[in-house]
Amino acid sequence: MKLDREVYIAGVGETVFGKHKEDYDILGRQAAFQAMKNSNISRPDVIQSAYVGNAHNGIVTGQTIFKDLGMCGRVPVINVESACSAGAMAVHLAIKDVATGLTEVSIGVGAENHTLRRKSGTAFMPAMNDIEAVHGGVMTGKYSMRATRYMYERGATIEDFAMITVKNRKHATNNPHAWFKGKISVEEVVNSRMVAYPMTLHQCCGVADGAGAVVVCSKDMVQKLGIAKPVKVTGSVVTSGPYHNHPRDITGDDITEMTSELLYKESGIGPEDVDILELHDAFTIAELLYYECMGLCKKGEGLKFLREGQSTYGGKCVVSPRGGMLSYGHPIGASGAAQIASNVKQMRNECPGYQVEPIPRVAMSHVTGGGLSGTEHAACTMHMLVSDF
Amino acid sequence: MPEVDKKSKKKEQEPDITFFHPDLLSVPDDQSPPFLKGYRCNNCGQLDFPKLSPCPNCWGETFETVPLSTRGKLYSFADIYIGQPGLETPYVVGYIDLPEKLRIFAMLDGEVESFHCDEEVELTVGPIRKNQDGLPIISYKFKKTSSQSDEKGVNV
Repeated sequence: MKLDREVYIAGVGETVFGKHKEDYDILGRQAAFQAMKNSNISRPDVIQSAYVGNAHNGIVTGQTIFKDLGMCGRVPVINVESACSAGAMAVHLAIKDVATGLTEVSIGVGAENHTLRRKSGTAFMPAMNDIEAVHGGVMTGKYSMRATRYMYERGATIEDFAMITVKNRKHATNNPHAWFKGKISVEEVVNSRMVAYPMTLHQCCGVADGAGAVVVCSKDMVQKLGIAKPVKVTGSVVTSGPYHNHPRDITGDDITEMTSELLYKESGIGPEDVDILELHDAFTIAELLYYECMGLCKKGEGLKFLREGQSTYGGKCVVSPRGGMLSYGHPIGASGAAQIASNVKQMRNECPGYQVEPIPRVAMSHVTGGGLSGTEHAACTMHMLVSDF
Repeated sequence: MPEVDKKSKKKEQEPDITFFHPDLLSVPDDQSPPFLKGYRCNNCGQLDFPKLSPCPNCWGETFETVPLSTRGKLYSFADIYIGQPGLETPYVVGYIDLPEKLRIFAMLDGEVESFHCDEEVELTVGPIRKNQDGLPIISYKFKKTSSQSDEKGVNV
């Protein structure tokens, strides 16, 4: 998407992630209210359009969130679903409204509660009209097949994969929004329960609940709202996954490669300039592959990049500074919006105890969506943000 | 009363499927080996499995059915210990690359920790899950080729 005019992030919100008794609407409302207050918005009639990402919690989820904020009747609310990409897509649509001049200020929210509804000890899967799901396909299996091939071709070990969990949990140590955090050893990760070889329990994101919200606005509104630390949106890209039933290399990911290329082109920012990155680390193998897919390092050098510490503090790009999905858990409709919220807080120096230094000025986020057969992923959404203060 | 009769009658008339998809898998009555059905577009010649209509390449709407190779290479696989709700674990799934340059996702017949990337596998037919009536649904699966299974049988 070419941005016709400048779009800024005015404010963000995120809940604590984890197991919640509060349903998605309460969580979504918390995050949205935080984001609006963070944008110096103190009335229900300022936001001009609202998008809400959710995957599993039913119908009219957005209106359920916004009615108690007095916004229904004033604001068009549109619900967005694309599995794990839903929350980021909701933000994308809010950006689009401002970019095209349709609105001056819009909000994108992602909210999800899985644990109130979902049986534990089972794996996420595509819908039953999907030919792979009928034959036993689950998301853990999809990523495990990538990992198995990666081990076969590159000589990687489970211990290599485990280093991603160790790194991300370490990043999250002092993050109050993260669920699983702090010190964990490679051995503990490797020896945790086997989910789908070689992915052990601690290499899989937790089934969690949570919400994130992002208020975006025009340059005029940055002034009017008195936003002290505006963050500019320099790129927002949504793609759908190309269909192929032919042999292909699954140690890469065509949709992530395509989307990051589009994002770099749109934003005029290359991977070498990205200070922090939240990506779809639903499983350890994913983060490892995406280093290469996004051009953080050359194809074939992902393991080297990790081992050299290039994806942590002091490295070329701090990947998963909030702790990623491996620390937050992954309420699938929420994660994409929460990633952006967390990136903005990093750029504003609002992350005591887990602040990346020097304070990042360029932040990227990436979230895929859906295990549709014949695609690597059904959807991919990426954002590039730059400090403008 | 009549409504209840109607309901139970309807259920009797429509049992859930026990064979996954006759458009995809042929199990001949004459004991000849089963095969997967590929679909070649009569307009552009693209070969697809599963059947896609129209052809995603040219939107052609007529196809020739082509029996696919029964042997292929196991590109990758996953030993699954925590699976879908309702499926018994562990089970194994994998991507099988056929010589026709088609990749098939299927369950693998065999034990966990027994498969390897790039080994040869062959088509077999067996239950993949239970249907709503509790009966097995039969579909395509792959297993180690006969010669390999014999070798393994001695060692494992």
